[in-house]
Amino acid sequence: MSDLLLVENLRQVFGGRNQTVAVDDVSFRIPAEPTIVSLVGESGSGKSTIARIILGLLKPTAGRVLYDGADIFRPGRQWNRRFRSEVQAVFQDPYSVYNPVYRAERVLKLVIRKFRLAKTKAEAQALMEEALWAVDLRPEEVLDRHPHQLSGGQRQRLMLARVYLMRPRFIVADEPVSMIDAGMRASFLNILLDFRDRHGISTLFITHDLSTAMYLGGEMIVLYQGRIMEQGETRAVMNTPMHPYAQLLISSIPRPDPRQRWEEDLSSAPLAEIEEFGEIGAAGASVRDRCLFANRCPQVMDRCRRARPALQAPGIDDASAAGREVACYLYD
Amino acid sequence: MPALLQIRGLSAGLQGRRSVTQVVSEVDLDVQAGEILGVVGESGCGKSTLAAAIMRLLAPPQVLQSGAMILRLPDGKSFDLLELSDRDLRHLRWRHFSYIPQGSMNSLNPVLRVGRQMMDTLIQHGLSSDEAVARSIEALELVNLEPRLLESYPHELSGGMRQRVIIAAAVSLQPALIVADELTTALDVVTQRQILQELASIRDELGATIILITHDMGVVAQIADRVAVMYAGKIAELGAVNDIFEAPRHPYSQGLIGSIPRESGQRVEGLPGEAPSPWNYPSGCRFHPRCPKVFAPCGEQAPLLLAQDSERWTACHLYDAEVAADV
Repeated sequence: MSDLLLVENLRQVFGGRNQTVAVDDVSFRIPAEPTIVSLVGESGSGKSTIARIILGLLKPTAGRVLYDGADIFRPGRQWNRRFRSEVQAVFQDPYSVYNPVYRAERVLKLVIRKFRLAKTKAEAQALMEEALWAVDLRPEEVLDRHPHQLSGGQRQRLMLARVYLMRPRFIVADEPVSMIDAGMRASFLNILLDFRDRHGISTLFITHDLSTAMYLGGEMIVLYQGRIMEQGETRAVMNTPMHPYAQLLISSIPRPDPRQRWEEDLSSAPLAEIEEFGEIGAAGASVRDRCLFANRCPQVMDRCRRARPALQAPGIDDASAAGREVACYLYD
Repeated sequence: MPALLQIRGLSAGLQGRRSVTQVVSEVDLDVQAGEILGVVGESGCGKSTLAAAIMRLLAPPQVLQSGAMILRLPDGKSFDLLELSDRDLRHLRWRHFSYIPQGSMNSLNPVLRVGRQMMDTLIQHGLSSDEAVARSIEALELVNLEPRLLESYPHELSGGMRQRVIIAAAVSLQPALIVADELTTALDVVTQRQILQELASIRDELGATIILITHDMGVVAQIADRVAVMYAGKIAELGAVNDIFEAPRHPYSQGLIGSIPRESGQRVEGLPGEAPSPWNYPSGCRFHPRCPKVFAPCGEQAPLLLAQDSERWTACHLYDAEVAADV
């Protein structure tokens, strides 16, 4: 059985004269069995660009994306229809996806009509209600409302109800919980876990918030400036990050526990942003032909500035290294 | 020692055509000198309105309804912030208390150099331009920025650097009280960590008192000394950060802290229901329709924020001995 998703040597360059390399030779796979993969990174890491490419909204400069073994950009109405029904997106802003004029039920009705999911009105109603229950919404509380009458959490779950109607194989969720309140986040994440466990739906979960990725488990890919720095099982990466960037990132999570405060005081550390300043737009091969974290790295070596380290299995004998890949010369 | 800021019965709302809709209701709060007080709550709970009210910077249709706010400065002077004229306020704001509103890193004027913008405020407060330059440089050092940034334009700076400039400007006159609203919300985690640690060191170096308004429980757990949990315009619970996180008492705090996603494989449940908006605050305890421990008095009688001991206040009938005795 082929992989659900195979991303090969993806590269995305924006701009004319002042080019920006948003995605720089990124490859990864999502297996056929139901799973959740988190793509984590800070702003500018290229995570949303990768999401747009995988959804077929943006053609990459180079590289390819295979869904179920087939190139997603291949032409054909039939393929398009299949891809559009099997792959669903959930975006960050639960406000802007709704047309304020229409009631909430319209987003569900449109899907039912477009993909001919029901033969009768009663059938359509039953489908909508089932989908709403699947995402912990009470039909009578949302169907007749206008979008502005719903909370952010309700709107975002309504998007999941829409996704559920389609019974996709794969969801691409780009920062879906960053605009919903803390008390509601767990509910949303639990639905993704249920989708995986009960309905066999895989999710690519894109986030800057590592604590939500940790909760979802599965696999994790850590991006930095368009490159994969480390990937592996989420729990292993979170507990023993190997790449110095992943170490910095994970140790900086504000853990919701006052007994686990940040140990090292970074308030007088050199500012990364100043060093990296001006580099973001500079995409010349010479500038990127190195480890992009070298200037901030406490363990930097000469060779880090000379050539780009490959993403490969770490050369250490440790159980936590199983299935892990790191782009760092420390593990060469 | 008396509190640096004593807030009593503070109410603020939104002016409608016929009536005022109350957003923040009768808040009592003592802010201790030198502490970092975290004010947490979900969106719409009134935390930003509370921050603006403390600064006397409510903008129409927001209106102040009632209350008193006594600011006691380290030099012994004290003021009721609600009694001051606009002119007096302009003089005191920035010098004695300053405000970093939500999203303020995007409020720098794009056509003026950073230095000019920082110095304008200082010159307004009576400093000579030489003094203003010196103060601005000192302030930039507090947030780990180099003096050469005074010559930069805002678009040349990253988000984290702009937020640091805003913090530097806010602390440049060494105010006793700083109110920061969602200071690091739009920033990456590493930058967030650095800025929050800088804020803590500013507290140590200047002896400032900081009220940090945030929706992020992690931020509060990392740097606050005490926490006030807000729900529907009221303070539900107030206490030391360790106590609030380890043994929350108010059912809302319990739900909020219990719903934080932590380890994978350990499922947590979200809070059921939705927070009410100011137009439909429930009667009695405003949390009662969502409360798993609701009992007889909750629907009618609003609980008071009562001290259980010298460190801990909870606004819940479960902890009110008199109410419990009646039931």
